[in-house]
Amino acid sequence: MPESTIDVPAVELRDVVASSGGYEILSAASVAFPAGLFSVVMGAAGSGKSTLLKVAAGLVVADSGATFYQGRDMAHFSHKEELAFRAASGFVFQDAALWANTSILNNVAMPLRVHKPWMGESDVAESVRLLLKQLGYDESMGMRPAELSSGEQKLVSIARAVIHEPAVAFMDDPTSNLDEDAAEKVFELLARLKSRRCTVIVVANNSELAYRFADRLGVIKAGKMAAFGPYDETVGSAEAALMTSLARLRARGSRKKTAQDEAGSEMSQRGDV
Amino acid sequence: MITALGRSAKLKASSLLYGMGFFYNVLKETARFFRRSQVGYKVLIMQILFTGYEALAINAVMAIAIGAAINVIGSSLLPQFGQSQLMYTILIIVITRELGPLLTAFVITARSGTAIATELGTMVVNHEIEAYLSVGLNPISYLVVPRFIGVVVSMLVLTVYFNIFGLLGSFIVVQVIKPTPILEYLTSLLSALSVGDVVSGLVKALVFGIVVSVVSTYQGFSVNRASTEIPVAGIRAVGLSFILIIVADIIVTLMQYA
Repeated sequence: MPESTIDVPAVELRDVVASSGGYEILSAASVAFPAGLFSVVMGAAGSGKSTLLKVAAGLVVADSGATFYQGRDMAHFSHKEELAFRAASGFVFQDAALWANTSILNNVAMPLRVHKPWMGESDVAESVRLLLKQLGYDESMGMRPAELSSGEQKLVSIARAVIHEPAVAFMDDPTSNLDEDAAEKVFELLARLKSRRCTVIVVANNSELAYRFADRLGVIKAGKMAAFGPYDETVGSAEAALMTSLARLRARGSRKKTAQDEAGSEMSQRGDV
Repeated sequence: MITALGRSAKLKASSLLYGMGFFYNVLKETARFFRRSQVGYKVLIMQILFTGYEALAINAVMAIAIGAAINVIGSSLLPQFGQSQLMYTILIIVITRELGPLLTAFVITARSGTAIATELGTMVVNHEIEAYLSVGLNPISYLVVPRFIGVVVSMLVLTVYFNIFGLLGSFIVVQVIKPTPILEYLTSLLSALSVGDVVSGLVKALVFGIVVSVVSTYQGFSVNRASTEIPVAGIRAVGLSFILIIVADIIVTLMQYA
């Protein structure tokens, strides 16, 4: 398991309280997401996962508490620091949140136009086309979001979040609305992000995603981080036992493979067992 | 009862302060808009096309009708008081100083004010505003400022347009009631027109444009989560704009005549 070489967490929330419509969603939530690692936070519907992610990405202002990016309080960001943070980050929304009044090309190209204005329009279009192709999107780039299925919209949303190669990727349930083939394409993209040591913070209920990628696994319950730590520790914790998806991960056992396991895996792939 | 009144007053005061802060931010970002090379120019052009160009026809029809009506009423009433010579002065004052900017502002509020409030409200509900934030685009500078500049520019241009068509409408009626050569009509009209009339109309147009654009964008952003809030934001944008336009009209008129 790769470990971060940087002591300062990429993103840290300290005692964050956030509410919406008079309801408290996060109750003094604290968590530190290590730089260069893949963190997954799981939790039941309504537990505050999406709000936690939006506070971490500076998209929702907390009622109290603080959010830090590389040790700097995001509430005190200057305009320049804010822009630098946005250039270094990307966000995948749970419901895609594409801009309805413009084309798919313009949706995905926007981060490049904002953060890499020196790129020519033909290079921008080519970058968008290549990334969408990698994700298995095969519709026209001139279409409007409303003309796509919800799964395709999700793929476009993921492309928009990573087109400018951010150092930190925030992802809210990136495989929701996707069929298995499309989800596999997203997993390939996540594998690439992980291999280039991008800090990835995902909130999801997809146990397969957590099993494959999570360096750090967290559990959020009723607006508080009930557990957060290395994958095996969290899966083995008492808190995890209370969640079906985590219990499923626990049933799959540790990911630390022994030589015997590896041999067994190879034999099964060859059809020897 | 007293507690409820106090809570309501506190809420209104905080909403007013928030609105003032919003207006300050709009002005600040407007000053920066032309210095930045950014993607907001397309939004500005689209806004001028929608608010200005597409409203030309309705504004022209209204202006001709109003100009004609003033002339019909004036030419029947003024001779009774032996003041026929005041026709051109009344025409200039009513159209240029008052009805031109006022009716244009009402048309823009009804067309663009509702459109802006509901469009931004829909974007809030669909998380599109958060998406702009996530890619580093300030929603005030990218979404509000182009609409602000677009509405103000359109308001100024449409007011001048209304004045021209209002006076043209009057000329058409003059031909029916008392045929007058166009040169004589224009000479009489221009002799009654002062720089103050033009400036007064343009100042009102500028103020009304600011009111409509700021109120509409503010109401659009006041939507929180539910799609049912979107039409409410549109209704509020129209109602509040109308009230503030009338209040601003009284204040500007008082400043000119007091």
